[in-house]
Formats: sequence, C-alpha cells, structure tokens
Amino acid sequence: MSGSRDAEYTEYVAARLTSLRRLAAVLCDDWQRADDLVQAALVKLYVHWGRVRAASHTDAYARAVLVREFIHERRSTWVKRVSLSGGVADAPAAAVDHDAVLDLRAAVAALPARQRATLVLRFYCDLNVDQSAEILGCSPGTVKSQTARALDAVRRALGPAIAGEPGGQPATRVVHHTGEGAPGHD
Amino acid sequence: MIESQVRALFTAIASSEPGTSHVNTQLAHRRGRARLRWRRAGVAGAPIAAAVAVAAVVLAVGAAAPHRPAGPVSTGPSAPRQFNVLAPYLSFGWLPPGISMMQGGTGRQLVWVTAAHRLAPGLDWSPATEWSVNVDAAGKCHLTTAPSGTRTSTAPRPGPSIPPGTKGLNCSTPAQKGYPIPITGRAPAVSGHRAFWGGYHTFAGEPNQYLIWQYARNGWAEMALPFILHNPAKQAAAQRDAVKMASQIRYGVATPLLFPVQLTNLPSRWQVASVTYWPHGKVLRARSYSLGAGPPDLGFDGGLQYETGLPYFTIDPATRRTNNCYADPHHSTREVINGYRVVLTDNRIPNRHDLCAGDADGLSLDISQFGAHPAISVAEIFGHHMRLLGRNPANWTSKPIG
Repeated sequence: MSGSRDAEYTEYVAARLTSLRRLAAVLCDDWQRADDLVQAALVKLYVHWGRVRAASHTDAYARAVLVREFIHERRSTWVKRVSLSGGVADAPAAAVDHDAVLDLRAAVAALPARQRATLVLRFYCDLNVDQSAEILGCSPGTVKSQTARALDAVRRALGPAIAGEPGGQPATRVVHHTGEGAPGHD
Repeated sequence: MIESQVRALFTAIASSEPGTSHVNTQLAHRRGRARLRWRRAGVAGAPIAAAVAVAAVVLAVGAAAPHRPAGPVSTGPSAPRQFNVLAPYLSFGWLPPGISMMQGGTGRQLVWVTAAHRLAPGLDWSPATEWSVNVDAAGKCHLTTAPSGTRTSTAPRPGPSIPPGTKGLNCSTPAQKGYPIPITGRAPAVSGHRAFWGGYHTFAGEPNQYLIWQYARNGWAEMALPFILHNPAKQAAAQRDAVKMASQIRYGVATPLLFPVQLTNLPSRWQVASVTYWPHGKVLRARSYSLGAGPPDLGFDGGLQYETGLPYFTIDPATRRTNNCYADPHHSTREVINGYRVVLTDNRIPNRHDLCAGDADGLSLDISQFGAHPAISVAEIFGHHMRLLGRNPANWTSKPIG
C-alpha cells in the first residue's frame, strides 16, 4: 500500500511539478516564494494522497491545495508582517505609491490574497466561476464579486487615464520583478 | 479590457520561469511521510548515497556520543501487548525551551507523540524543530542484522542496499514493516536501558537521525530528531536533548482522549482502531480517528489506518478557515442532513465515499469510507449514528461509541 502510494505520488509530482511551479509563481509573483509555496503544498499533497488519488480530477485537487495554501499563508504570516508596516491588506489600492499605481503588476500584487487567487483561477487557469468556487471553497456569487472587486481595484490603482483606455500601454508594462516595491513580497 | 491585461501579466509571469527549481520533492515526500507518522527510515526513491552516508553517520555519531554501555532490559515490566487507543499511553516529561507538544496518535500496535516549535496559535509547526517519538507494542520490533540485499526503501524505486552486517531496528507493524532504521552507533543509556543512534542521510543531504531505545522488556521506542544541517554543535546539542527527553518520557498515561461526537447504534464489532489527537486547552482532543472490526489492514490517510467498509473521521471546531468543503464538480452532491449542509462525494475508482460538513453544530467534519458496499453509508452515519457534542470541551466524551 505504502509503496503504491509513494510511487503514484512521486510519479504525479514529477509530471506536474512544472505546472504547479508556474501556478505558484503567478500566485506569488515571485519564483522563490513560489517554490516555497510548492514545497509546502507538496507535503500536504502527500499527507492527503489517499484522498487526492481517490479524486477523479487529481490536478484540480492539487491546484486547490496550492491555492488554499497560498491564501492560508498570506492570511497568517504575510498579512501579519505587512500589517505592521502598512496595513495594505484592507486598502490595497490606497497602499501603493504613485509610481506603482502605474504598474499593473504592482496593482495586482497589492490585491488581497483571495482576490488575487480568484483572478489567477479565472484568467490564468481559465476556470469558470463554478470551478473557481469549488477550489476557493465559496459560492459562485462570491467568485463573481471577488473578481469584480479585484478588477475594480486594479482599475483604480492604474488611475483614471488607464481605466478609460482599454489595453492602455502603461498597464501592460510588465517589469522584471525585483521582489521590492510590491506589498506582500519579501 | 483590464481582463486581457491581467491575462497577459499572468502569462508573462508564468513564462518567465528561471532555470533552477528550489523545490525539493524528496524533502516534501519525506516531510509528508513524517506528518503521516507511519514512516520509518525509508524514503521513496531513497538516497542514492545512503549506504555511504550511513557509514559517515556512524563515524560522526561515534565521535560525538559518549559510549555508555547498558544492557538489554531483561527484567522489569514488559511492554504492552496492545495499546488502548483511547488514551495516549505516553507523554513528554521534559521538552527543550520553546518546544511544546503538537499532536499524538494511538493505534493498537503503535503510539506516537510529536513536539515542535509552534509558529502561531492555530497554525502548523516548523518541521525543522520537530521531535517525534514512536513507541511500539511488545514484540513488534527487533534488532536485526541486515542480510545482503536489504534496502532502505522499497518504493517507488528500490533504494540502495544497506551494507551487509549493518544492524537495524525492524518492526512488523503494518505501518512500519519494510522500513528498517539502520543503527549507526551506540547512544547513552536512556533511563538505564540500552540505546542507539540510527538513521541515514537523505538525498538532499539532510541527516535523518533517530534515537532508539528499549523502553521496556520486549518493547522499543524511536525518536526522530529535528533536521539540522551542517552544524555539528547544534547536532550535538540535539542529541543531548534527545537523550534527556527520552529519559523523562512518561509511559502508561491514561488521560482519556475527548471526542467531539459520539457514534451510536453501530455494529458491536466496530471499535475505534486508531486516533490522532491534538492538545486543546487543557484537554487532548481526538481530531481524527478510524473504526475497525478486525485486524488492521489496508493503508493510511492523514496518519490514520483505515479498513475497507468502515468509516474514519476528521473533526475540528469550525472556523472561517475550515468551514469550506471541497466539492468535486463531477462526483459531489450537496445535501442537507438533519438541517446541516453537507457535500457528499462518491468516487468509483477506487470506491471511496466522503461526507463533508463545513459547520455542523460548530464542528467541521469529514467522514470517509472505502469499499463498494459499506454496511452503513457515510450519509447514514452522519444522519442516524452520530451525536454532535458541539465546540465546548466540557460536553465532549471519552466514549466515542455510545
């Protein structure tokens, strides 16, 4: 039993590590933190492998573990750290400085974890509202509202000039992440 | 559209993958096994350099640990032939500063307890500070010499051979069978009983070290030490702490575990087979447990042994973080049972049935069951065989089956 379990787990992780890392990177916007997140998620994946392999969609389960670990980690350690210096979690749009407001990446990075995770599931994983709701453990209505709030926050962070200009150039200025400047990234 | 910009951003991030991954899948695997508690010295795809590393550990430990011979326990009380799964049996008498008891578990043949540095209330603990003790029932473990061809692990790929003649602690419990701990050196006696260091180096180069001692006649115990890298002074300190902790462990602890639910009207042969428990204020709360009707069989999930056709449970006080149930879009249905919203999930391959209640009288619970034809379905168990006792420990019970 144990051997079978280990073999299945190892095979799965080897096959899916790249995609899990990419998803984690999109969630964290930081490859080093993404690897930490994947590391933690893989431990949980192993612990619950009996349940994971019983699920018909192993990838969906693994994705859920990763996303929930991301939200949990942000809610616990990261939020505590950041709230000491800025309290941006409650007011993401107002927490970024003027330069960062022009930066789509900074605006998205300033979102609360659950809102960012919602955007990632909807616009990176291309999940529909119901599928996103299953992973986030909330209602489809909450996914819709979280998506709307997140996009609205990003629009506001980008400023009125961009908000009225779909596809405006400043918003697509994807800069190389330095790990600084964007709240929530060490 | 802002959506398209966000999509482009995410795609750009995902495609900017650096060449080197820092994810250590071996380490994740090993820590997962450690969390399951039912692990021994083997790690899947076991360390390629293990055979060499074992020898290295022998040398290192031999230099660090003073040789204090102690004989086998030939007199005194014998180890229990079987443990009472409703009581912890062992507890720590001393822990290093900053370390506290995190969780424990009971089975008929094996009991265990873990201590670590708590990160924050309600959060997980740091694996780097984790101490874990297994105590085996009488006759379940023996010191043996590895014959030629013995390996540290059997799955998924056979690990490297343990050098012939290496002594190891071999245990026959279902959870431990096949994962011997190579003995690497003599340890200071634990309460006058003979003791050894054991372990190996993982693929990642971490020393996976154990203190092994005979806690009673015909009974062995093993303590997994925290993972300490490249710091001989800390490793030596950890070894001293391990011996002190082991020497002050209390055996025969009969403090009853408390269960937040009580099962009723079940077949008389159904009994609690294994439990994991957590400290909850001043009591020990049974967090997950399985039922059994005969010899333990099958496998493990989240640290529990489970048996075909019988349920196992995970129960926590409901919080905003735990009151969500995962629902498989293709195999789950949402129902209301006794006024509580639940998610029922049925998977055909393998035959597995789950019930999740996010908040039932202040409790978040999962009931799981394998088998094509369970005698009582998870929905029936929840609906007709379960008394919810709420969040207040004063109302919990030490008799999980009424």
